[in-house]
Amino acid sequence: MARFGIGIDIEKCTGCHSCFLACKDEFVGNDHLPTAAAQPHGGHSWIRVKEVEQGSGTKVKVDYVPVLCQHCNSLACAKVAPEGAVYRRADGIVIIDPVKAKGCKAMVDACPYGVVYWNQDADLPQKCTMCAHMLDAGEKTTRCAEVCPTGALVFGDLDDVTSPVSRMLAEKAGKLEALKPEFGTGPSVCYSGLPKVFIAGEVLFSNRGSECASGVKVVLKDATGKKIEETLTDCFGDFTFRDLETNEGYVVNVEHVGYAPLELAVRAFASQNLGELVLKAK
Amino acid sequence: MKYDKVVTTTAWSPGPGCHGGCGVKLFVRDDKVVRVEGDENHPFSQGRACPRLLALTQYMYHPERITHPLKRVGPRGSGEFVRISWDEALDTIEARLREIKDDYGPESVLFCQGTGRDIGGPISFLAYSYGSPNWIQLGLAGHSCYTPRLGAMMATQGDYAVLDAAQFSPQRYDDPEYRVPEVIVIWAQNPAPGCPDGFFGHWIVDCMKRGSKLIVIDPRWTWFSAKAEMFLQIRPGTDGALALAMINVIISEKLYDEKFVSEWTVGLDELRERAAEYTPRRVAEITWIPEADIIAAARMYAKAKPAAIHWGVPVDKSPEGTTVAQAINHLWCLTGNLDVPGGNVIARPAYGVTTYPFSTQEMHALYGEDFVNRLNEKRIGAKEYAMVRNFRGWAQPDVAVEQMISGEPYPIKACWIQTSNVLGGQAADTRLHHEALKKMDFVVVADLFHNPTTMAVADIVLPVASLAEKESFRSWWAPLQVITPAVQVGECRSDWEINFELAKRFNPELGKRFPTLKDLFDDRLKPTGMSYDELRDAGGWMMPPENSASRPYRRHERGLLRPDGKPGFRTPSGKIEFASQSYAQWGLDPLPYFSEPPESEVRTPELLAKYPLVMVSGRRSSVFFHSEHRNIPWLRECDPDPIVEIHPSVAKANGIEDGAWVTIENDRGAIRRKAKVTPIVHPRIVSVPHGWWLPETEGREPNLFGIWDVNCNVLVPMGTQSKSGYGGGAYKTTLVRVRAAEGRGE
Repeated sequence: MARFGIGIDIEKCTGCHSCFLACKDEFVGNDHLPTAAAQPHGGHSWIRVKEVEQGSGTKVKVDYVPVLCQHCNSLACAKVAPEGAVYRRADGIVIIDPVKAKGCKAMVDACPYGVVYWNQDADLPQKCTMCAHMLDAGEKTTRCAEVCPTGALVFGDLDDVTSPVSRMLAEKAGKLEALKPEFGTGPSVCYSGLPKVFIAGEVLFSNRGSECASGVKVVLKDATGKKIEETLTDCFGDFTFRDLETNEGYVVNVEHVGYAPLELAVRAFASQNLGELVLKAK
Repeated sequence: MKYDKVVTTTAWSPGPGCHGGCGVKLFVRDDKVVRVEGDENHPFSQGRACPRLLALTQYMYHPERITHPLKRVGPRGSGEFVRISWDEALDTIEARLREIKDDYGPESVLFCQGTGRDIGGPISFLAYSYGSPNWIQLGLAGHSCYTPRLGAMMATQGDYAVLDAAQFSPQRYDDPEYRVPEVIVIWAQNPAPGCPDGFFGHWIVDCMKRGSKLIVIDPRWTWFSAKAEMFLQIRPGTDGALALAMINVIISEKLYDEKFVSEWTVGLDELRERAAEYTPRRVAEITWIPEADIIAAARMYAKAKPAAIHWGVPVDKSPEGTTVAQAINHLWCLTGNLDVPGGNVIARPAYGVTTYPFSTQEMHALYGEDFVNRLNEKRIGAKEYAMVRNFRGWAQPDVAVEQMISGEPYPIKACWIQTSNVLGGQAADTRLHHEALKKMDFVVVADLFHNPTTMAVADIVLPVASLAEKESFRSWWAPLQVITPAVQVGECRSDWEINFELAKRFNPELGKRFPTLKDLFDDRLKPTGMSYDELRDAGGWMMPPENSASRPYRRHERGLLRPDGKPGFRTPSGKIEFASQSYAQWGLDPLPYFSEPPESEVRTPELLAKYPLVMVSGRRSSVFFHSEHRNIPWLRECDPDPIVEIHPSVAKANGIEDGAWVTIENDRGAIRRKAKVTPIVHPRIVSVPHGWWLPETEGREPNLFGIWDVNCNVLVPMGTQSKSGYGGGAYKTTLVRVRAAEGRGE
């Protein structure tokens, strides 16, 4: 028995929405019983693409995050549903039963990811089925994975090392993460490169005109002064510390021989471009 | 799910709307397309499909689709149309156009199209069969869409060139001769959501995966600029200055390919002298790009081997677009990146097959020089503008709209409008075009849905087939491919069918030569040695043959480019011309130069005081093609509102909150948009997506689906065209101000 999962590499997602459209093409107006009743024409995003634009000035990051049912191990939706209305198959796919779940609107609010949608006409909560009807018919992939133009979203058997998802997970080993791990639901959807806050800036020397201050040491410390990371500015005098914790306090130190050191306290409530940091000659 | 058949075909025009080329599989059940997928065996898109293609079923079977001919019965703008038969529609059109021809001459009818869809063939055959030289993208200021770049490329190297993503090889990236560009310059384009000019945007992502580094030039952060080694956030309209500064750095630091330049080019000294005027320091002030970045970008591009430039329509929309394109073209010639693997390769359609005679040279070949010269005598703008006369058979739009109103030097009485929603789409100065179109005695619109243009001015509306319902072929670079019908919807007919039928009525000779449309297709396909049916049955597409003029690489060395078979290029000198003899002959500056936008901080500081922001229109959305698809629910859900992107500092200074409605205005008028406050735009610009109308609102006059409320082209002027006649539409450089809108309801 296969154990299905989805891997999403944010680095590769261009935000094209093709996954959303392929899902529409597959499910709108098409009953795929017993795993899915037809998706209504509007209002449902069994997979949606969230846009994240952060930073400022010359330090901006643009990311897109596809969000779909996480096919969790611990089902928040099941807690509010009648017996058998939601179940996890042996292959890991979580299905809302289109018959037994009738009328159970509570599931929509119970999902912490907000990926269960209410079908008013059918009186039914609905969501992504990992295209279970296609897999059951012998197909090898989901519509969203099949249509993804960059290979950002891949699908497959987690127990088969040659499957696209296993290959991605192996390639990204150590960099994998869950979407909102704090929900603690044990998702079967795995992400790499989820957008985090960053602190960036550009270093200049006070006495060298417009010349870029490349090769300058910049150190990132936590609020207690403990060093987290250090880097050298690039050929444009730029530096970036990525993947920081939102809302944490940080200290940035800039040092160069012959110049007075600079120290800045930064709160990373959002990505920060510190702008031009001018080192004064001693 | 069971299907009756799966039809493999080519995506082009109605449906995704775009410039096409993707291989698509249409799944048919009970004579209906019920599912759409990309064709994994197709070399162009390699199995990929875009949102607009995936929404094809919703587009084809939309309840508001026009599925039979219509005749207007109420006054213009009333939206009162009744169903008529095809016979009545075509007879009426034929009779009215004959009357106009008899009374005013055939030149008094404009044949208007939108952008590069499956239309150049059908509409030019119809226009010339009728006898009108006035084939035009009506409303497109300066014809600022690819034509300026094409003209510049033709003048410089006698051929067009595109970034090499191995698109001319059936093996694609696995072709042993191919090399991925070490550096790609994305110059004013957002490749993934916009596949421009026969180029599949995701090829750039393919190259990135294979190691290409990016330099991105754009006033706005995109997914690509956020992933680039270098991002040059440029002042809109100053691309020409940047290109010249890069040329300056490359020549003065001797970073150019000396062997290639000495062997294959002329005019380096003149170019050096001209570029010397554009020092990085001076250009930094012009472009808002730091001097160090300009120098670093020039070095990074010139030192990479190979390197390629992928460019977008803002080049054309720069002031003096034909000279800006020329300067950028010079970059790949200076660095020896022309027609080498992973550079900018010469792009000719496979087998030399074109759907229609494209350049003046081809026009001569098909229609004879006499006929073409006669057309030029009456073609709007041909007298005033050298490139209109000498490069391509378009009438000039800025002059045309004036003539529609003035009737000078001869009256314009009718418009045939096809693949174009003029008023909701490309027309700058929308009010002027509204006024001009209202003066027409007769207007035919061929389209799939009602839109602001059908509502305002159509007398007859003809229902057009989507790509899934038509027989056609596509020959935009490579591959050469057929479009095969899968189903029929209502009484819809393809643009080709409609125009061929009418063209035969006006020109019986055409009918004698080509009794059926297939005969005409077969004639165009002759260079392949195959008929349309044979090509279809052989799989539907063909890459250019090896060792031919339409297959890279290094064709100039092998004598494949010139008509005389000698090595070199198809230019007057046989070399790449940094100082263009053709430009000189046409009375234009033979060398590239920079010109300020018509409205700008430098040219009109007093206007800037009143309107401090540069409005950049035209950012691409993956779910819309220009003014299309606002009525397709699945697509609209992804990009629901007519927005304006505003920098947080501008929003704060003007008391504008994210999601609030704002007024955008200048002396030409005011529109409203929903604010999207975002750091991706430069604080001195606002990005205003184009092509917006609101199909969910009233279509009749005066509302016309909300164009006066949301269409940004209301604010853009006409009459800013380049000296060549092509380029310079101010779609990216118009000055505006923004303020919170009062009491906007949804």
